[in-house]
Amino acid sequence: MGDLLAPANTLEVLLGNEAVARGALEAGLNVAAAYPGTPSTEIGEALAKVAKKVGIYFEWSANEKVATEVAMGAAWSGLRALTMMKHVGFNVASDAIFTLAYAGVTGAMVIVSADDPHAHSSQNEQDNRHYGESVGLPMLEPTNPQEAKDFTKEAFELSSRYKIPVMVRTTTRISHQRGPVRLGEITAGFSKGKFVPPEPDRYLQVGAIARKHHAELLEKLKEISMDVSPSYAKVEGSSDAEFGVVTSGVAYAHTKEALKLVNVDAKILKLGMTFPLPEEVIGEFLSSVNTVLVVEELDPYLEMRVKAIAKDHAPEVEVLGKLTGHMPRVGEYTMRTVLEGLSKALGVVPPVNFAEIDRRSSEILKKVPPRPPVLCPACPHRSTGYALRRAAGRAAFMGDIGCYALLFQKPFRVEHVTHAMGSSIGLANGIDIATDQDVVALIGDSTFFHAGIPALINAVHNKRKMTVMIMDNRITAMTGHQPHPGTEVNAVGDEAPAIDIEKVVRSIGVDYVRVVDPYDHAATERAIREALKHDGVSVVITKRECALLTVARLRRQGQKIVPYRVNPDKCTYCRVCINTFACPAFVDTGSMVEIDPTVCFGCGACVPVCPYGAFEPQEGSLNWREQKIGV
Amino acid sequence: MSVREFNVIVAGVGGQGILFTTNVIARAALKLGLNFAQSEVHGLSQRYGSIRTELRIGSDVSSPLILEGTLDLLIALEPLEGLRQAPYISERTTVVMNNHVIPPIGAYLERFPIPSFDEILELMRSLNPKQIMVLNAYDIAKEAGDYLVANTVMLGAAQATGVLPFPEGVLREALEEVSPSRYRDLNLRAFDLGRESVSPPR
Repeated sequence: MGDLLAPANTLEVLLGNEAVARGALEAGLNVAAAYPGTPSTEIGEALAKVAKKVGIYFEWSANEKVATEVAMGAAWSGLRALTMMKHVGFNVASDAIFTLAYAGVTGAMVIVSADDPHAHSSQNEQDNRHYGESVGLPMLEPTNPQEAKDFTKEAFELSSRYKIPVMVRTTTRISHQRGPVRLGEITAGFSKGKFVPPEPDRYLQVGAIARKHHAELLEKLKEISMDVSPSYAKVEGSSDAEFGVVTSGVAYAHTKEALKLVNVDAKILKLGMTFPLPEEVIGEFLSSVNTVLVVEELDPYLEMRVKAIAKDHAPEVEVLGKLTGHMPRVGEYTMRTVLEGLSKALGVVPPVNFAEIDRRSSEILKKVPPRPPVLCPACPHRSTGYALRRAAGRAAFMGDIGCYALLFQKPFRVEHVTHAMGSSIGLANGIDIATDQDVVALIGDSTFFHAGIPALINAVHNKRKMTVMIMDNRITAMTGHQPHPGTEVNAVGDEAPAIDIEKVVRSIGVDYVRVVDPYDHAATERAIREALKHDGVSVVITKRECALLTVARLRRQGQKIVPYRVNPDKCTYCRVCINTFACPAFVDTGSMVEIDPTVCFGCGACVPVCPYGAFEPQEGSLNWREQKIGV
Repeated sequence: MSVREFNVIVAGVGGQGILFTTNVIARAALKLGLNFAQSEVHGLSQRYGSIRTELRIGSDVSSPLILEGTLDLLIALEPLEGLRQAPYISERTTVVMNNHVIPPIGAYLERFPIPSFDEILELMRSLNPKQIMVLNAYDIAKEAGDYLVANTVMLGAAQATGVLPFPEGVLREALEEVSPSRYRDLNLRAFDLGRESVSPPR
């Protein structure tokens, strides 16, 4: 939305993620690679959009580990490289990253980890600050979009100066916060580098060499903790205050306002570099107050370290936080969380009567039906879920990461598991060994390329019996439609060889493979029933593009989206449509089912669901299956 | 122009153009050189579920999240989603609400009763907001040319309440800047119709 290439010295509205991208461009970025994952995705989307104009190289890689290695290759060739990932993506990449810290870089490399406190769009609330210390990566943590840009730029300078990768850690409320950002000069571009190891053993990490490099890394980190970390520590507030807060990231933004509301004399120590920590600065701050509250989301990362520093520098100071029960450890922080924690720590009544607000609003909220995310109208996964329920209702269903994870919901309930990228097929291996149940794995196209292929190879080689549904909607949909190795275009819009999933599966040796249009419910059901009878690994590929892509294309072509309607003479109000297909466009009026024209995309997938044929096209309605739209 | 704190929530169902609506207001703030912080939702959580963006404008603002009870303007593209913001609504809140209820499909499966619009309006009134403006944004959007621009109709109505801390015309200019060229005229038409349509509730 913001103009990533707006001129220097102007103010532009940027999303935190766009600000990270701009910071990289200002730092002279040459190569960036990533796998999409909320809340990190828009960094790559922003770079993809401007890559050609600026002359940088950008790719959506097959997974985070590959992306990291792409960036490493560039940073070992003297270039400036960036990779970014969601918190759990870091786990995938970590095998390469741990050893990278020993190896260092010749150019510069920045790794962005976007964490998701509250698990808004994730499977866990992992706190990646621990990675900074365990890998040995200096880590910067911005508190707003302006700092997201500035810190990313500075991270490149630090990486270049110390010849080690530098990590920028954000959280959802930084990544997805939009704000005014003062811009600097863009210096990014591309010229070829050269792969020349600075010493013959620099990139050969084994035994004695690895130990030598480990020691070197620790020396560098010590130097950074003295020369760099203190400049990222800022003390605010009245100098003679006896109450202090240590904080970082978005928690700082909440704290700053909350302190004004409680109206007490306090000072804040804001830490912009959370690894390595500036021990002297923290020690001095602790010895200047009687009580300190640590305000940080997720784990007591700072709190534990502040306590350790207090032992040497200020043994008398009282350290409050999660370990003392003043602050919560689960979920993200809001102004309220911080106000309540501060009030508790100060022994004052919170300035807002939260109990009264809760009393008043809880009465109302009881009457508001919950609205969790559901599959979009026209979503091909709804049809696949419908067919699976009918054809394989009693199987053990191993789900995966993607929109289709929503098939755990009623009325489909064809996901008993959603775990980690690619886990569906791996788990199906184990469940098949351990039980006599039918096992079905559900995996999307992008997830299949990311981490599904080794598990499928494993299943064939070890003679497993299982059915794998590869739900190929021709895009990485959940994160907002990024290309993947199976699409005909790449990240920057150029034509690219599309890896054919059916050919991959057949080449592995799967001998039952069917490709169906999921909108053809009868054919999809038939393929699933046969697959379940097959003695061995069977694969059903449901191939139909994400409905949002179809709708966008139809609109671009000037095609009118005309919703379907329910014929009131045919509707018997049996509610079979709601109870088995559950399109969000269905409205139960109390005497019949109607279609909400503001929600319906006019796909016609519901037509075969009604036993009485009550779903009818209107003048101008399309039928995506019959007219082969979206396949 | 100086603003200390003005808090906006745009609430609705994923897919209604909530983010676009908020971006227009943020763009207006930028044009006036005002400080602001906006929180939004991306990823799986936006698939036809409850969505809200939060926008805080003013010199006192550093947190991107709104404190309960301090909302100044609620733009409810869908009325149930408007009501879901109850903890934020107080005597300082102006509510601009679309009257088209989109029932959550899951409520049918869980047999959760879905309140009618009149019931929703009654519950909204019980929170004592400063004012409530109701409009049929979809009908107005259709009149402008497409259901799609119901969000812009709501934006026009929000402008008409006069509570936004912007001089006349700035929001419309921001809309013109932020609109993709293909939808620019349609959006401006919808905005103007929305602005003209504001009337007190029945």
